[in-house]
Amino acid sequence: MLAYSLPSDISPSTFVNTASLVRIVALGLISAAAISSRLFAVVNFESIIHEFDPWFNYRATRVLASKGFYEFWNWFDPTAWYPLGRVVGGTIYPGLMATSGVIYNILHALNLPVDIRNICVLLAPGFSAFTAWATYMFTKEMKDESAGLLAAAFIGIVPGYISRSVAGSYDNEAIAIFLLMFTFYAWIKALKTGSALFGTIAALFYFYMVAAWGGYAFITNMIPLHAFVLLLMGRYTNRLYVAYCSWYAIGTLSSMQVPFVGFQPVRTSEHMAALGIFGLLQIVAFAQLIRSHVTSKQFQDLLFVSVISAAVLGMAAMVLLTYKGWIAPWTGRFYSLWDTGYAKKYIPIIASVSEHQPTAWPSFFMDLHMLTFLFPFGVLVLFRTLRDEHVFVIIYAVMGTYFAGVMVRLMLTLTPCVCVASAVGLSQLIDTFMDPREPDVGEEEEKEDGSSTTATPSKKAAKKEKNAAPVTGVGAIDDIVSTLSIAGGLEKDKSAKAKTGIFGLDTRMVVLFNTAAMLLFFVLHCTWVTSNAYSSPSVVLASSNPDGSQHIIDDFREAYYWLRMNTKEDAVVMSWWDYGYQIAGMADRVTLVDNNTWNNTHIATVGKAMSSPEEVAYPILRKHDVDYVLVIFGGLIGYSGDDINKFLWMVRIAQGVWPDEIQEPNYFTQQGEYRVDDQASKAMKDSLMYKMSYYRFAELFGGGQVVDRVRQQYLPKQGPTLDYLDEAFTSENWIVRIFQVKKEDLLGRDLKSANGFAQGKKRKRSKPPVKRRVLA
Amino acid sequence: MAGPKASTAASKPASSAVDPNAIHSLWKAYNDTTPSRLKLIDSFLVFLMLSGIAQFLYCILITNFPFNAFLAGFGSCVGQFVLTASLRTQVNPENRGEFKDVSPERAFADFALGSIVLHFFVFNFLG
Amino acid sequence: MLLPWLTLLWIPLYVLAAKSSVHQQLVELAAQNNGVIKLNDKTYDLLTSPDRDWSVSVHFTALDKRRRCNPCREFDPSWNAVAKAWSTVPRSERDHHFFATLDFDDGHTVFQKLGLTSAPVVHVYPAAEGPRRPVNGKLAPYKYDFTHGFDAEPLALELSKHTPVAIPYRAPIDWAKWGTFAVILLSGLITLRFISPVLQSRWTWAIGTIITSLVMQSGYMFTRIRGMPYTAGNGQWIAPGFQSQYGQETQVVAVIYGLLAVSFLMLTVIAPLQKSAQRQRAQIYLWTAVNLIIFSVLVSLFRTKNRGYPFKLFL
Repeated sequence: MLAYSLPSDISPSTFVNTASLVRIVALGLISAAAISSRLFAVVNFESIIHEFDPWFNYRATRVLASKGFYEFWNWFDPTAWYPLGRVVGGTIYPGLMATSGVIYNILHALNLPVDIRNICVLLAPGFSAFTAWATYMFTKEMKDESAGLLAAAFIGIVPGYISRSVAGSYDNEAIAIFLLMFTFYAWIKALKTGSALFGTIAALFYFYMVAAWGGYAFITNMIPLHAFVLLLMGRYTNRLYVAYCSWYAIGTLSSMQVPFVGFQPVRTSEHMAALGIFGLLQIVAFAQLIRSHVTSKQFQDLLFVSVISAAVLGMAAMVLLTYKGWIAPWTGRFYSLWDTGYAKKYIPIIASVSEHQPTAWPSFFMDLHMLTFLFPFGVLVLFRTLRDEHVFVIIYAVMGTYFAGVMVRLMLTLTPCVCVASAVGLSQLIDTFMDPREPDVGEEEEKEDGSSTTATPSKKAAKKEKNAAPVTGVGAIDDIVSTLSIAGGLEKDKSAKAKTGIFGLDTRMVVLFNTAAMLLFFVLHCTWVTSNAYSSPSVVLASSNPDGSQHIIDDFREAYYWLRMNTKEDAVVMSWWDYGYQIAGMADRVTLVDNNTWNNTHIATVGKAMSSPEEVAYPILRKHDVDYVLVIFGGLIGYSGDDINKFLWMVRIAQGVWPDEIQEPNYFTQQGEYRVDDQASKAMKDSLMYKMSYYRFAELFGGGQVVDRVRQQYLPKQGPTLDYLDEAFTSENWIVRIFQVKKEDLLGRDLKSANGFAQGKKRKRSKPPVKRRVLA
Repeated sequence: MAGPKASTAASKPASSAVDPNAIHSLWKAYNDTTPSRLKLIDSFLVFLMLSGIAQFLYCILITNFPFNAFLAGFGSCVGQFVLTASLRTQVNPENRGEFKDVSPERAFADFALGSIVLHFFVFNFLG
Repeated sequence: MLLPWLTLLWIPLYVLAAKSSVHQQLVELAAQNNGVIKLNDKTYDLLTSPDRDWSVSVHFTALDKRRRCNPCREFDPSWNAVAKAWSTVPRSERDHHFFATLDFDDGHTVFQKLGLTSAPVVHVYPAAEGPRRPVNGKLAPYKYDFTHGFDAEPLALELSKHTPVAIPYRAPIDWAKWGTFAVILLSGLITLRFISPVLQSRWTWAIGTIITSLVMQSGYMFTRIRGMPYTAGNGQWIAPGFQSQYGQETQVVAVIYGLLAVSFLMLTVIAPLQKSAQRQRAQIYLWTAVNLIIFSVLVSLFRTKNRGYPFKLFL
């Protein structure tokens, strides 16, 4: 018997057609929601490239678009890492730039003269729609279409993914998550059908992924791990052989085409798991072949000996190769994921990046909201059926949560898995409670009255009206689930005799209403988080005036524009590496270090210059032809991401290279505190960074209390003096300060001894304070 | 890619030490039960394996320069080997039940496409 | 008449004798206590006397329970291990460098004199005289930097720069750890036959997976990497601030997530199995209520972490 009556005069083909139409519409709406929720940044600010790395990608894309691919491929950039320069073509993942370049060329071929900047800004939202589609396809393989639509809706608006893909966030991750999901989809499809075609597609998308993002190592290890677990579970099939081997053979060879990757796939330990599984599969397949020809007793002797000897030989070969240095051990970045203390000890430059910090639980909840707990439930649902492809999601869940816990940044790789598993779980819940069939037990509860039939559609209509665009998709999903289960019910057995199920209509209503409310809350949460937390370009800052209106702080662009307009074209600007890409991208000037942190010593040199006293720093500056030094100072308006707060990392990195000259404890007070006020340590007060940040800062307060609003400390009224540098520019809110390095011959003195020069200057400079004292 | 391939080859002599009869009966069973089409594929597989071994030996014993050319050549052998082996399992009538979605014709089309993609990269990599 | 002169003549010898006896004393003190000299106000001055021809590394600490210096107790074993390693060096080298510990309760005045307000601190005083006097003449103590944590290994490495020969410190093999590991492995292998059904059961793995994902999502790795305490000590168990948390929060949040997941599980999997309509109804209402309430608790917990969060459920 049924809990609510169904329309019975509709043909099955109408069901199928309507269902597929609704699916397409729902997917379209999900894509629209995904794209539009990423446009907060453009609406609130403007169409601008965000943060740091995107500025380099944008600059590279401009080169690609204007000069063509070959020029880009051989691009040597002399303006970065002065005086070393940087071979850009061989040290980047070109996938992102190539993608925008292709889009740019296609649009121009169609006579649509779109600016390259707008393509770059809108690339990430555009690809998020593709990601939603790829997730739909992936989840469809896990359960069914309805779960797929739920997963697509989740990934479309979940903040964990939006955080890296808002408009303007033109970074590798923008396209990488789509590639990740599609590669996984192709792999699952290949595994299910045993088709080399899907294996090849997986390999091609893997190649694209390798060209686009360093995170490809995740795929390189996830797929072998899946294959290995399947082998351990005794689930070897010939389909597994076909899928894995076609993926690995083509994928590896193609990944070596990317210059930045080079021979790594055969030379480094990160890739050895894939190779090892490849070899193991050959052995197992060979053993299977023999098994089909030989009777069991002989077979067992043969198989046992051959597999053991092959495995031992293979292991020995790997160990030998690693020992002889042919295979490089794990790189630091990879290793630091397992040994979490490693990076801080040996590669402070990696540990210093804020997105490499471990994740506290509020971040998880912020980024995933209700998916945090729907996800374990979904994994349990997968364990109930545990098909080969479900094993994949389960492994992914374990790996993904661990990595996301270790590094905030890797929340991004966890998010798709969470969406898939949650969608499977939730759609299972909805299936159970939408199914109109009631279990067949002795005591019957007939609930067939007119109200039930009217109640269901009206509820749906109400929900559709209430919810925003993304949830329209979810509402549509409910429709599909019901139509499908109805269709199934109609087709299979009209007189449904289910053994288990839900009694009554009220129970169904309660649970479904609760679910719908949760989904609504999820949408509200996602929208709020996206608009408030993840849509700031960080190049332009926003604050609110007392009356609630928005106040734009545009110091960065102001300063970069000043540099562009008022300095020589080949002027060298020194800053901490965070701002290297922005200076190159916006001011178009030569930088010493930038966000491509490939040369630790060079960065440490800058760190040393910043943390040394002027007279030590000056020769370093002159040796590197530095014309301007740029510092970020937030003390006036309370911008906490400034250089004084990053200063300890500069000290630490410099200490790693010159442990005798720079020592971190010297920058703390006796009490071990990090202070900038008059209790600050001598090394701190003498450092170039301190002096540049607080130079003439006291004058602003006109003799009153000098307060640093970031550190909430009171500074001495007598500010630091500068002898070797001149203040060149300070932006409106003092966030960016630019100092010009004086030339030795400005005083027309002998250039031989910088020391003598310094003393000469000091005498001259120290006069005014003396006078003032006399006057007082 | 070297280890496992070499070891697959090495497994045969190792097992012959166990029981020479086993090898003999295996060979006999193989001859009797395998369709001629599969035998053709197998001979191609053996050829690819020998070619791969020859290149590997050249790399180890003489020189690995230029390394990308070696990798391309060796990769093409290994890649073609596994693609062909995949084709063999797919068209093997014994495995019909496992590959419901892949008819022999479809398998051959997959094989051809995979090989084209593979050799595209090989050609690009030869440098 | 000559006597004063004679005594004057003797003075250097006395001094020499005194100095050598001081050195002898220090050597003996060091030998008594595994290479670490326990200092007090007086011996500190002796040890760091301005005419020392030996170098010395001093560890300032406060081990007494009342001082509540957890890092001190954490660091102390490392210090002693390094000092012990030094005592194995051949005599000729060993006696030119000393390891000493000064507890706060034995030497208030020294702490005051040096202006030390926190512990542990390690100073290395170079030799002020003799052949080992630093070439650049810098006699200011070197301060050890604790950025590498309280482990013995970086300490030995860093101090080796100031000792006559490198400190032959080798991390002790953790026999207990390896022992337990071996025992577990062995017992696992022995009981493999009996536990293999457990290992092969998918639900064992399911529970493992779920617990892993719950614990990781509750910020377990954060508390581990940052070494966060279990609670704040004053009974407060919620760490202030969005990017921080205590150990207890991990547990509470994991349990909340777990309960919510269980409520879904009960609704979807267990409730439909119920044969009686009334019981099933009760179950469904119960678990829906649990779901709602626990979720409200979670949201309110999140609101305490993130003050600006605008949404709330019932709580």
